[in-house]
Amino acid sequence: MTRFPLFQSPALDAAELAMRPTADFRHGYLGNDPRKLVEILQADLARVKALGLTHEDLAGRLARITVEATSTGMGNAVVVDGAWEVSVTAARGVLPCPFGHPGVFPKTEVRARNLKTGKEIIWTDLSVHMIHAHGFYQGQGSPYRLDPGELAVFLGLAPG
Amino acid sequence: MIEILVGLAAMSGLTAVLAALLEAADFWFLDYGEVVVSINEGEKEITAKGGGKLLDLLADNGIFIPSACGGRGSCGLCKVRVLSGGGMVLPTETPYLSPEEAKDNTRLSCQVKARNDLAIRIPSEYFNIKRFKARVESLANLTETNREVRMKLLDPTEMNFKPGQYVQLLVPPYKGSPESVSRAYSIASGPEDKSSVSLVITRVPQGLATTWVHDILAEGDEIELSGPYGKFHLRDTDAEMIMVATGSGLAPILSILLQMALAKSHRKATLYFGTKTTGDLFYTDQLKELEGRLPGFRFVPVLSNVPEGETWDGETGMVTDPIKRKLEKEGGEGKEAYLCGNPFMINAAVKMFMEYGISEDKIFYDKFG
Ligand SMILES: Cc1cc2nc3c(=O)[nH]c(=O)nc-3n(C[C@H](O)[C@H](O)[C@H](O)COP(=O)(O)OP(=O)(O)OC[C@H]3O[C@@H](n4cnc5c(N)ncnc54)[C@H](O)[C@@H]3O)c2cc1C
Ligand code: FES
Ligand SMILES: [Zn+2]
Repeated sequence: MTRFPLFQSPALDAAELAMRPTADFRHGYLGNDPRKLVEILQADLARVKALGLTHEDLAGRLARITVEATSTGMGNAVVVDGAWEVSVTAARGVLPCPFGHPGVFPKTEVRARNLKTGKEIIWTDLSVHMIHAHGFYQGQGSPYRLDPGELAVFLGLAPG
Repeated sequence: MIEILVGLAAMSGLTAVLAALLEAADFWFLDYGEVVVSINEGEKEITAKGGGKLLDLLADNGIFIPSACGGRGSCGLCKVRVLSGGGMVLPTETPYLSPEEAKDNTRLSCQVKARNDLAIRIPSEYFNIKRFKARVESLANLTETNREVRMKLLDPTEMNFKPGQYVQLLVPPYKGSPESVSRAYSIASGPEDKSSVSLVITRVPQGLATTWVHDILAEGDEIELSGPYGKFHLRDTDAEMIMVATGSGLAPILSILLQMALAKSHRKATLYFGTKTTGDLFYTDQLKELEGRLPGFRFVPVLSNVPEGETWDGETGMVTDPIKRKLEKEGGEGKEAYLCGNPFMINAAVKMFMEYGISEDKIFYDKFG
């Protein structure tokens, strides 16, 4: 519904409220980013387009690494494609997407280290869904913010 | 262009506010009068103010339907059969209903509005679920990430649970978590003392409930919980049991073992407890003591990472590795499997058990766990 938003719709208002019930909300989502949700979505979309990529390209690669690491590692660190060392931890239970449509996501946390650069990033199943379905990479200061430019380099989808 | 966008943005903000107002007005100003909810063909009848969600109406009257999303229509757990008076199935419900459920009038109780009399059907065990006030008796850090919370039940003073079941802990608002949230935790204590309940809670990054438990909760605090919930419990057979746990998944398995010890069971049972290092093992003394009390029971810790320089002569690798070797030799026929822990382990273990001939109806774990 909101991958290419033109304006802050009522649905985005509701999502923004769910994401920022207070400034210090532990789940982050918008972090301390002062921008409206629509502005964050538009700015990140522009960056993804400038790289010649789509939200699907980035989310697809994250999803594939997650699946590889969970099926072979069962929670232990594994090397995926010779490029990333990945460990996935998962709590039992599920959580809803703050964009408020049907569906829940497992409480996983994926930690991946790029073996070439040493850079480490963290994402969750919900992060992948939000990039894929909503083009949402989260606000500045969110513990799960993934900068699209840095992410593309990390995933080998753009030159470093 | 900018003016149009600003205009649209202002309008959309207004629409959102209006939608919220309409929802509130529907509940407060539209008077649906009293409605009667008849449960399980009149086994229980509730008369209450109409207009709100069926899930909330039932909870306000002491009937707790499982929920993992607080009634937002996104977990699909709050199913009940609505035989009459529920109105049309909403589009928000259909993704969660199988064709059979749609046919037998299963609905999400958080999406059904109680605007007129209703006849519903719920599993009879839901009548046993109660809301409790409890006091934290003790807190103990079992490992770096696992904390044991022992609670004394104050009101009501006893919980009738089956070992293996879980409770929902109500976490009050605190800095960084502005709304109360409720989360499921398996009971770790045995059935011999119904007036206390122990939980083992693993810290989760950015977790709303687990941060509260690990950083804020203190001994002596009064808290609220509801329960017991769940279908994970000991089956009354003589079948050999293979038990598999990782992390705090040990909690319900320990409770089941304590139940077996109380019953002086001679059943053959092996528990494989998978952790990364020796530092992640807990309740080891208790499990070794249970080996003494239960003649058929064996405890097998399995470490996935033995740090260099550390000596460990037990099993290593994935928790499923030694089980695979056992099943290779003996086959799975006639055995039962009890699993609790991280979802990857559950998926891998279920697949393995089925490959070795343990049928799906003999593999027990909390779905949605
Ligand atoms: C039947 C059952 C029994 C259970 N028993 C136990 C038990 O005995 N012991 C136990 O420890 N647990 C148990 N659990 C799990 C427990 O219910 C909770 O799910 C768990 O403790 C985490 O709760 P939390 O509130 O701390 O985390 P939450 O706040 O609900 O979730 C935190 C997670 O959400 C994700 N997340 C948060 N913010 C973002 C963001 N901005 N972007 C992307 N992802 C994000 C991350 O994965 C993060 O780690 C059980 C669950 C079930 C269903
Ligand atoms: S309570 Fe989660 S869908 Fe109804
Ligand atoms: Zn979504």
